[in-house]
Amino acid sequence: MILVIAEQRGGKLNRATWETIAAAQQLAGITGAPIAILVPGAHAAGAASDLAAAEVKEVVTVESPAFEPYTPDGFAAALRDAIAQLAPAHVLLPHTYQTRDFAPKLAARMDRALLTDVIGVKSAGGGTAFVRPMFQGKLTADVVPLGPAPHFVTFQIGAYRADRAAKGASPAAVRALSVAVDTSAIREKPEPPFQQAKQAVDLSQAERIVSVGRGIKEQSNIDVAKKLAEALGAELAASRPICDAGWLPMERQVGSSGQTVAPKLYLALGISGAIQHLVGMKGSNTVVAINKDPDAPIFEVADYGIVGDLFEIVPAIIEAVKQ
Amino acid sequence: MQTLAFWLLFLGFAGAFAAQVAKRVQLIAAAPNTFSVDNLPFRINRFLVDVVLQRRTIRERPVTGLMHALVFWGFVAFGGYTTVEFLRGLGIVDLTQTMWFYGYRVALTPFAIGVLIGILYLLVRRVFVRPIALGDHLSIESIVIALFIATLMITFLLTFRLTEGATAERINWWVHMLVILAFMALIPASKHFHLVVSPVTVFLKSPELGHLPNLDFEKEQVGLETVKDLGSKMALDAFTCVECGRCQANCPAWGAGKELNPKTIILQTQRALLGGARETKLGEVYSEQVLWQCTTCGACENQCPVGIEHLPILIGSRRGLVSNGDAPAYLGAMYNNLERRSNIWGLGYDQRTKFVQSAALETFDPAKHDVLVWLGCAGSFDADFQKSLRSLFGILRAKDVRFGVLSKERCTGDPAKRTGNEYMYQELANGNIEDLKAAAPKTILTSCPHCVKTIGADYAKFGYHVEIVHSSVFVEELLRDGRGKASAEGGAKARAGRDVVTFHDPCYLGRYAGNVDEPRALLERFGADIKEPDRNRDNPFCCGAGGGLLFADKEEEPGSRISDVRFKQLQATGANTVVTACPFCSIMLKGAQASAQADTQFVDLMTFVKDRL
Repeated sequence: MILVIAEQRGGKLNRATWETIAAAQQLAGITGAPIAILVPGAHAAGAASDLAAAEVKEVVTVESPAFEPYTPDGFAAALRDAIAQLAPAHVLLPHTYQTRDFAPKLAARMDRALLTDVIGVKSAGGGTAFVRPMFQGKLTADVVPLGPAPHFVTFQIGAYRADRAAKGASPAAVRALSVAVDTSAIREKPEPPFQQAKQAVDLSQAERIVSVGRGIKEQSNIDVAKKLAEALGAELAASRPICDAGWLPMERQVGSSGQTVAPKLYLALGISGAIQHLVGMKGSNTVVAINKDPDAPIFEVADYGIVGDLFEIVPAIIEAVKQ
Repeated sequence: MQTLAFWLLFLGFAGAFAAQVAKRVQLIAAAPNTFSVDNLPFRINRFLVDVVLQRRTIRERPVTGLMHALVFWGFVAFGGYTTVEFLRGLGIVDLTQTMWFYGYRVALTPFAIGVLIGILYLLVRRVFVRPIALGDHLSIESIVIALFIATLMITFLLTFRLTEGATAERINWWVHMLVILAFMALIPASKHFHLVVSPVTVFLKSPELGHLPNLDFEKEQVGLETVKDLGSKMALDAFTCVECGRCQANCPAWGAGKELNPKTIILQTQRALLGGARETKLGEVYSEQVLWQCTTCGACENQCPVGIEHLPILIGSRRGLVSNGDAPAYLGAMYNNLERRSNIWGLGYDQRTKFVQSAALETFDPAKHDVLVWLGCAGSFDADFQKSLRSLFGILRAKDVRFGVLSKERCTGDPAKRTGNEYMYQELANGNIEDLKAAAPKTILTSCPHCVKTIGADYAKFGYHVEIVHSSVFVEELLRDGRGKASAEGGAKARAGRDVVTFHDPCYLGRYAGNVDEPRALLERFGADIKEPDRNRDNPFCCGAGGGLLFADKEEEPGSRISDVRFKQLQATGANTVVTACPFCSIMLKGAQASAQADTQFVDLMTFVKDRL
């Protein structure tokens, strides 16, 4: 059996769980094993009924005082018991902060192998290999876990697409499992969770960003960029001088003294690419730069560079996107 | 009868003096010993210039400084006179009737007049002009002391008019002596204690600006955490402060409206020591926020006339904070970059390799090359600064200088060291030292003044000594008359029409390394007409990048950005071209220029020279 450990808080599912289900379905395609999803924590029922839509054998909810509030001791103890009852061959988890916190402890307590930050699954010589990046992504390694089952595998966020998880023809069965945990053995005494005052605009989560620099020349020209952002479904961002001038609010500043972003598409309009701006967007997947100056440093990092007048080029792009 | 009375008074006042001094001496003795007298010739020379000749007092405030010097020289001259009068008052020996004493008194007259003029000037300045550096509180005690000094001089001058033994003479004598006694009792608890300790403090001040000994992790040193960790020199500094406010007036953070005031730091140290709060955290004594506002430009320490070292306290306290995980979040991101990628930007070293290849740089080989060029974090990754380096390479090639680079570099560790992350600094430093030792260059050339300080002065503390020069110094010598035709061509260009420029001295070049003439010589040789900004040469106003503040978020609050303040000073020269000689100054000032929507041009010194070669 392949067991996916879902992550939810207050009945609200972490999206990365669906990514892990997609990975589990790929693994099942190789091993032929059935998939079960384990939903731990209070209010698990709500998340479980959502997850039942997936093409899996069953969804198991586990409610235990050991899960509330979250502690690594509580999670490791309760999941250990649940895993012992279900006896899976693989335990798959999304590589979230919470997983990073408890999974090593859980695997170590059970004396089983743990593969972290995995980005792919493939069959290798009759067995299954898990692909994980090494040397900051410069190389990838195919890792085959040894030792007795279960093998723990955590999947990098974004490695699988959540919408690729196959849905079943009818909802999967949902059942509850009870675990025995000695809660007095939980050593951590967490304080209630709190959230730091969130920035009004969180550019770090944006998939597409249209960013403007000094080449936009006047405040009224920001509209051109705004229209492009709307057409692309992108967030609007800027380099420091634009925010300093008050043309866009400070929270839209990208760079070493602003936000660090990593969108799939970063469209730089009239940005020269000073290093303190570049370090704020270096994680972008694809960088498209439009600038008049062919020597602008932004072209050093751009995947696609257009040398020319952004006021001619941007309307043309908007037109093309609309078609 | 009078002798007995004088004895009683003398014992009383001298006792009060001694008790107060003893308390301070005990506090200094209880502190971890950080005194050092290395480099004696330098210390003796500095003592002569800064104490005897009062250079640092006069330099920044010429008139006020000279008036202070008159008072100081008068005090020294009066030493013998006061001793003789005390010996007489105590009935030990009366030398007042000797011929030489009369001659001595006559010789003292001009000194007395000098002191009178000086002290009256200073009194008027303090009471009526009230410069902001002296604080907004008028010190009554300072007025009393000034009046005391004036009284001493007047009573001295009156001795020439009064008959020995007459009642008037006796009263005059008693007034003079009582004022000295009262003065003595007042000194230790006031800023006038500087007249006792400042010569010692100046002598004990480190010859190196911003001297920060390595932490020894084997001995579990983690930096300054609480008041009891403050070293003996820091305690001496705290009791030496004369509250003149030169540090405050020159501090870029204070000048940009931030909370940091170096003078306040020293006075807070004094209060904490006297208050006996040995276990109080330094983050509470100074406030953590304030400690992170320092750019480590060194202006405070360099301008201090009484030998106080601010940087060891500021950076030492940062070390204590970092050891406890209390660094601001923006530094966490920078530390991550240093840890994972060994550079401040967090970029991959393939980018440096690309630059090295495109600029056709060879790997350094002592048999083949004269100098090793150190690229630094900016040179390795900042496309803008790489243009300046290409200019440098062009100059070197034109002059047949054979040079190479290391196949790999790490950040020197400067931003880690100045922000108190000593562990990370040492890790980076040790790695670089190993590589540099293996490459074995005689001379290292770099365009980054921070690398000059770190590799030159800080790596020496690991026992690695190498000559490292900034490109401005190297190229100036390279292109000096008689060593090439460049200057003749430059001269022709100069005649054709001079470029009006202003030069921004980088703190780590002008103030730390003292290289203020070489960049100017180069600029003038290649046809520049230099408009000096307010704050220049060895006392520049910082660009705001140092001490890790290059990465600070919200640097516009409180007050304004340091870079914006400096940019306005440069703009005020009227020159439309700013010449820079440090990659970080360039980043900060260009940012300020972009935000100000000004059309000011920036050019790096090397590019300026190369374009005119």
